[in-house]
Amino acid sequence: MSDLDKAIAQLRACRPIPEAQVRELCHKARELLIEEGNVVTVTAPVTICGDIHGQFHDLMELFRVGGDVPDTNYLFMGDFVDRGFYSLESFLLLLCLKVRYPDRMTLIRGNHESRQITTVYGFYDECLRKYGSANVWRYCCDVFDYLALGAIVLGASNTISPNPEQTEMSTEDIEIEVCNADGQIMSQFPRTPRNARARGKSPNGAGGTTNGVAPGASGGPSGGVPTGTGPPGSGASGVSGGSVGNPAGAVLCVHGGLSPLIDTVDKIRLLDRKQEVPHEGAMCDLLWSDPDEIDGWGLSPRGAGFLFGADIVKMFNYRNDLSLIARAHQLVMEGFKEMFDTSIVTVWSAPNYCYRCGNVAALLELSEDDSGLGIFARSNGDVGRSDGGVSGGGLRNVLENDLKPGPARRYRVFQAAPQDSRGMPAKKPVADYFL
Amino acid sequence: MSAPSIPNLLSLRGSSRGGRGRGFGRGRGGSSSHSAPGHDVTIQGTDTDAALSRLSAVEIGYLDDPFAEVFAQRPAPGAPVRRLPIINRGTYTRTTAIDTIFNHFLASTAGSPRQIISLGAGTDTRALRLFTSTSPAHSDILYYEIDFPTITAKKLATVRTFPPLCVILSVIENTPSSWTAYSKTNPTNKLICHGIDLRDLAQPQPLSQPQDPPALPQPQTPLSHLLPSIDTSLPTILLSECCLCYLPTPATTSILSLFTSAIPNLAITIYEPILPSDPFGRMMVSNLAARGIRMPTLEAYQAPADEERRLKEAGFEEVRVMTVERIWQGWVSQEEKERVDGLEGLDEVEEWILLAGHYIVAWGWRGKGLELPSSEGT
Ligand SMILES: C[S@@+](CC[C@H](N)C(=O)[O-])C[C@H]1O[C@@H](n2cnc3c(N)ncnc32)[C@H](O)[C@@H]1O
Repeated sequence: MSDLDKAIAQLRACRPIPEAQVRELCHKARELLIEEGNVVTVTAPVTICGDIHGQFHDLMELFRVGGDVPDTNYLFMGDFVDRGFYSLESFLLLLCLKVRYPDRMTLIRGNHESRQITTVYGFYDECLRKYGSANVWRYCCDVFDYLALGAIVLGASNTISPNPEQTEMSTEDIEIEVCNADGQIMSQFPRTPRNARARGKSPNGAGGTTNGVAPGASGGPSGGVPTGTGPPGSGASGVSGGSVGNPAGAVLCVHGGLSPLIDTVDKIRLLDRKQEVPHEGAMCDLLWSDPDEIDGWGLSPRGAGFLFGADIVKMFNYRNDLSLIARAHQLVMEGFKEMFDTSIVTVWSAPNYCYRCGNVAALLELSEDDSGLGIFARSNGDVGRSDGGVSGGGLRNVLENDLKPGPARRYRVFQAAPQDSRGMPAKKPVADYFL
Repeated sequence: MSAPSIPNLLSLRGSSRGGRGRGFGRGRGGSSSHSAPGHDVTIQGTDTDAALSRLSAVEIGYLDDPFAEVFAQRPAPGAPVRRLPIINRGTYTRTTAIDTIFNHFLASTAGSPRQIISLGAGTDTRALRLFTSTSPAHSDILYYEIDFPTITAKKLATVRTFPPLCVILSVIENTPSSWTAYSKTNPTNKLICHGIDLRDLAQPQPLSQPQDPPALPQPQTPLSHLLPSIDTSLPTILLSECCLCYLPTPATTSILSLFTSAIPNLAITIYEPILPSDPFGRMMVSNLAARGIRMPTLEAYQAPADEERRLKEAGFEEVRVMTVERIWQGWVSQEEKERVDGLEGLDEVEEWILLAGHYIVAWGWRGKGLELPSSEGT
């Protein structure tokens, strides 16, 4: 067993590895990451995950639900550290897996992968506590500076991969499937024409600040299969929005969201990312911004990044030939939330966030398109439609009729790891309240 | 286990013994007449938590309170007490909200004596802040604090040993159950700290229908007898800042009626958690239970509307309820929000909305001349 495999085994047991080993690991990781562009290209199938925040045992649960590395190809959208009690073990394990299986593990940077934020939200203190010095924190922060800012997923299929579970719908018609942690189907939503959906009710409750396509929003994920409730679109089932079997448009993955300074994916590629997350500017926005029910851009309550509306997302997707933006960054009680006629989705992977929030978590699986038409025919922004030729009143029509069909999406929803799986005399983490 | 029909005076003895410093605050928790002394000690510990949260908010610059440092017990000397930004923002919002309500009360009753009664005051510094304020509205105050004898005794020990406090307060009276101090900076203000288990103020409940509020006025111990230094003729504001929630629900109903039946001009402010039944609330209940903390009234008053009904039924004519989240939105000025947000980044926006949505400030009043904030704005 190589040293790396030993380190992986040790970290899987939630035991930190020695400082010297961390140093070496971080060094290797940097060499690997430095070769990656700001926007990594990933080919489906891929499993996309949101915030982890040092909830190590829940990360293990995530691997149980989503499959182990390297069997499953993972893309983590940042915020590995802070808040939870095992930021160190969680991040180092992910980093080991990255070094061990570079092609099966993509890590992009979240706003918590920053020196400043980690001193406020716990990672710094944790390193100090576990090693007696800040060295390990420093090594990790140096790695943070090299993490990619985003990823483009190519080759995702717009039909869902077969599920061993019985389904009544033909898989061809399914756009969204929600499963529980044991792989049982909780709900399925048929594909509807994008333009129909854009006019009518969206899967997310027609543009309100609702919960999106939520797995049993009231009954919780352990509830039964909702029958015929809240399907996407206004009941129009069946085909359209692009012929089934064709590959879906590309998916952009980024931790936070868009920036007013970035109108094409190419502009992300041009940033100088190898630095601490700045307080403002494009790089900061990508890691800090949030979609919101507004028109255009708005100020963020977080004090960094911006809020951006449906128009911004649709325009960006159109211009860059994207069918979907997947992002993390915001706690959503149901684990995932699609917005703006499914042009953007939030994926959140820290169940019972901070051991306090009572939320479920989700991961998003995009399956592989095997029509053979995929990879080559697709743009990933390099040949984006930055023609700027769409403007004025025509924009809406153009957008709604011309968007690429979204990839078929399977969400696996899971809950916090049971207390007894946490090993050791489970000292229950204390969550703060106002007393 | 015996249900006392009169206050258990034995429980008041603790305060006179024990001197100062170490040894205080442990072990002699609460009244012998109530079961689960362990729970009492835990509940008294919540005051340490509140004091540390206050100190954290002060040290980072959310609040200005020179007394926070005095009463907080750091885990170790000099140890940092920094809380997470959402906790700090919550401490800030709750403190400023209650200050706002109090300022309305004090402004509307200015010019003659009035009274503040704080239930479960713990190491709250509000009295000291008022006494050292330069505002002319902050005089003629009888500030009456109630907590377990251990807690009030500890407070006295701090007041006596800490020089800056000796400049502000002059302790003039010290009986086994209470101590009294004048404000040296403004002699029209007086502080009385009374050590008693609040449950001893509650009338025993008829066993048949424990839910029913006791019929007013009952032929038993009146307020003037239980807490003799309270002046029932003064316009009064009653405060429970995260205190009544730890008591059995019938006891809280009884305690409220004890005050409402004795004081004609009465206002009230209650701060406590709500919504125990949604996913966040269920987790809150279970996390607090893991720390040994139970909040019986949380079950009884689950939603803001329940809190409103509760105060209306207690006899308050006007009642308002706002979540801490809404107070932050509506009561904190844009300028102040920017100042506070500038202190440390708050990345936990969704979590803030959840957490702050699970606490309310409810206030109500009845009688002449009391004016409390009556709308969403202040
Ligand atoms: C969470 S602390 C709040 C302290 C203070 N009001 C504040 O907000 O900073 C709760 C306080 O209520 C007091 N308390 C709880 N139950 C009590 C009882 N039965 N009798 C007297 N005091 C009680 C505790 O001792 C503690 O000081």
